[in-house]
Amino acid sequence: SVQAQKEEDNPPNTMEANGLTPVPDSYDYDLIVIGGGSGGLAAAKEAAKYEKKVMVLDFVSPTPHGSSWGLGGTCVNVGCIPKKLMHQAALLGQALQDSRKFGWQFTEEVKHNWMTMTEAVQNYIGSLNWGYRVSLRDTKVTYENAYGEFVGPHTVKATNKKGIEKLYTAARFIIATGERPRYLGIPGDKEYCISSDDLFSLPYCPGKTLVVGASYVALECAGFLAGLGLDVTVMVRSILLRGFDQDMANKIGEYMKEHGVNFIREFVPIKVEQVEEGTPGILKVTAKSSTGNQMIEGEYNTVLLAIGRDPCTRKIGLDKVGVNINEKTGKIPVNDEEQTNVPHIYAVGDILQGKLELTPVAIQAGRLLVRRLYAGETTKCDYVNVPTTVFTPLEYGACGYSEETAVEKFGEENIEVYHSNFWPLEWTVPSRDNNKCYAKIICNIQDNERVIGFHVLGPNAGEVTQGFAAAIKCGLTKEQLDSTIGIHPVCAEV
Amino acid sequence: MGWEEMQVRGYTEFVRTAQSYHGRPIFALFCGDKDAEGKSWCPDCVTAEPVVRKELHNLPDESVFIYCLVGDRAYWKDPNNEFRKNLKLTGVPTLLKYGTPQKLVEEECFKAELVRMLFTED
Repeated sequence: SVQAQKEEDNPPNTMEANGLTPVPDSYDYDLIVIGGGSGGLAAAKEAAKYEKKVMVLDFVSPTPHGSSWGLGGTCVNVGCIPKKLMHQAALLGQALQDSRKFGWQFTEEVKHNWMTMTEAVQNYIGSLNWGYRVSLRDTKVTYENAYGEFVGPHTVKATNKKGIEKLYTAARFIIATGERPRYLGIPGDKEYCISSDDLFSLPYCPGKTLVVGASYVALECAGFLAGLGLDVTVMVRSILLRGFDQDMANKIGEYMKEHGVNFIREFVPIKVEQVEEGTPGILKVTAKSSTGNQMIEGEYNTVLLAIGRDPCTRKIGLDKVGVNINEKTGKIPVNDEEQTNVPHIYAVGDILQGKLELTPVAIQAGRLLVRRLYAGETTKCDYVNVPTTVFTPLEYGACGYSEETAVEKFGEENIEVYHSNFWPLEWTVPSRDNNKCYAKIICNIQDNERVIGFHVLGPNAGEVTQGFAAAIKCGLTKEQLDSTIGIHPVCAEV
Repeated sequence: MGWEEMQVRGYTEFVRTAQSYHGRPIFALFCGDKDAEGKSWCPDCVTAEPVVRKELHNLPDESVFIYCLVGDRAYWKDPNNEFRKNLKLTGVPTLLKYGTPQKLVEEECFKAELVRMLFTED
């Protein structure tokens, strides 16, 4: 039902309210963006630059535990940002240990306070949420904290947290609704387990934690929790970091194991029960082997599920407007201009089928899409050779092909892999591992030994990888790489 | 009950006043000191104050609006002054919702829309 609205809050949509079909040019908005995350906000702000009338609808359905957050999407609130800050907190703990070897003297035992860290992180996130709201208001983008869903070809219904519904029309739409963590579908999962949606604002220290999953989310979270001094176990169904170079994935796992993270391989939980209530309480997890019949049990304060993320595309009325989705995965197939099968409806970000789930990709895709729509540009988003970094305790930066994919595509005889271990200078004095950091490049012999894959495992991997990604985009060959003199003493010179 | 205004000068008085209103929504506008003719040394504060005052009627019930003069120009320029150190203020004028990361700084305070958003939205 359509409720009355204050005049100054809303543009007139009396035609829709009166049941009349609006004719083109009298839509409420030029563009409505459903989802205020990395992709959605980038697109909305770009459209406002071209003086388009834009609306952003953003809404966070609370988690089973009741967690929710402000404007900005996954990356800002429950993804990249808090993750990197907590990873940094863990690295600082390690640095404090190293510092004694460099001459720093302190007698007190070093302990970590979860609440101090979490409050500081949440405070920063709050300033980002506010910053986005100021930015949208300043650029005259209308923002509503409401759940958007299609009810007609050019109409969305927006429901706010009080249940009040409003209808809006637009010439074009961008779906940027992102994803949410998947649950296991076993007894006790929603009642007792948490996900990354809850972890970064957890109002108590998680304690002894079981992380279920082997995705980068699972390994990054397990990594920093262990780095903060917690007892962490990772339960893996089969392989680590599916989709990533497996040689590198195994090295990451080895490093984590040697640095205090327990791994239970080839098991999946089949039920979670509460032994004791509390913050945290005690949970009992029963798990079954994924390769046989063996069963095991374990008790933990917290169970963190990180087994995958599902697109938020099933309940936004896509069937009402005929937008195709992959029924199995929920992802939306788009052409190379981010257009769905419905010409005036586009999509960006994690929900896209076959595209990388990364913030900078969503931002770039959103911006370029809008420039093509309203500024006459033709540049399409380049999804090839996108660099990425996994912020596990030993960081992993990559750009281009994994070794397996390169072999598959070009044939083993046509690629050459150059690799090396390296020992960061900063690790020598505190006697940290001298054989764990590793770098490799994969070259295409038939194309001038063009560098088609870049992989580095070591500190500041993200910083190292960024520059090489630009070089790869320019067509870096092995010879050019060899003739580039290194900076000394840094890890990147390897 | 509507909203009320308190006028204070200096960090200590500000903190004492804010603490005394603990539990109620507190909004604060920080400006440079005014001279004998009532004119501030901070030109942006001169521009912002009327804009902010015009939106005060939008303040939620029970809230407190603290108008705080921070000090003279020399005090403000000192990078270690208490407002910078403890309240993390980076410029004047600053309009903020105390205890939250929500604030408007300098030219942002000239925009009635933004001031209204700070006062009325969560």
